[in-house]
Amino acid sequence: MIELIIPVRCFTCGKVISSLYEEYKKRYEMYQKVIASGQKPKETPKEILDDLGVERYCCRRMIISQVDLLKEAAPYE
Amino acid sequence: MKVKTVELKGNKGVLKIEDTDVYFVNSLRRVMLAELPKLAIDNVIIYDNTSALFDELIAHRLGLIPIPTDLQTLVFRDQCKCEGKGCPNCTVRYTLSKEGDCVVYSGDLQPEHPSFAITENTIPIVELMKDQRVILEVEAVLGRGRDHAKWQMVLAPRYRMETKIQVDKKHINEVKAFVEELPKDLVELKGDKLELKDPSQKSILESYLEKHKADYISITKDPSKLLFSFETDGSMSAKAALQESINILAKKYEEFRGLLKDL
Repeated sequence: MIELIIPVRCFTCGKVISSLYEEYKKRYEMYQKVIASGQKPKETPKEILDDLGVERYCCRRMIISQVDLLKEAAPYE
Repeated sequence: MKVKTVELKGNKGVLKIEDTDVYFVNSLRRVMLAELPKLAIDNVIIYDNTSALFDELIAHRLGLIPIPTDLQTLVFRDQCKCEGKGCPNCTVRYTLSKEGDCVVYSGDLQPEHPSFAITENTIPIVELMKDQRVILEVEAVLGRGRDHAKWQMVLAPRYRMETKIQVDKKHINEVKAFVEELPKDLVELKGDKLELKDPSQKSILESYLEKHKADYISITKDPSKLLFSFETDGSMSAKAALQESINILAKKYEEFRGLLKDL
């Protein structure tokens, strides 16, 4: 799901996922850094989502397939 | 009918409902989705918006923010004494004013009254760069899920039937060989019964049964034993949402009975 900014709620069930997204993004970037340096990561994206309480796969796909394009679009308003 | 509360804390509710019909629980589920009223932002007056998101997109995002609702103190706007003009009985107002290089969160919405402060306050509405500004006023009213998804308070209400896994005793050796093929901790073989350790993993067992064409094991669903679970988005607690939905359902039946008397 490509959006400028994370949608407020999951499209399918309506769970508010935008409040969990910032936390996920921070931990996901940590995971990417650790992978890039070749070490074994402390937590995988699956574990991050489970820890944040995102149970249903309709909500999980909202978070993992988000691409933030707001900063790219901002100079062109 | 027997009802056992597995969990009814905060925003989550799980009930075990037994000796009843599926259509009864389904009508409760439908009322929760479509008829349960809650507050949501419906009118947005934008005075200044120089952010990267256009006006309607910000208004759309504002509409989806959950607002704590007390149904005892509010009425629907079209049924209010003010005849739809908007008064404190039917409308809740917030203002938002923020300027650049920050993220505008739902907690930045300032209420007229502190009792209406937004509890889910980490929802990002828009990201502002330097010199970008957002100044707006919003009105929140009561509405029902059937009119717009922003008024849908209950998330994913669902029920699941209890499953019984029956094993053909004459093929017990084949059953044991099959259980060896399954991932660890999926099932437990107790004598002549197969038990799922976690009932939500039923579909994994079903896919293995299909792959191995194991017709000596059969899964039957018991429609008189249901596990009903739901979540709310925070506008009301799960307990209050359940009680209110039951009241709405009862009122509908009462109204119908009253109309039938005239026939």
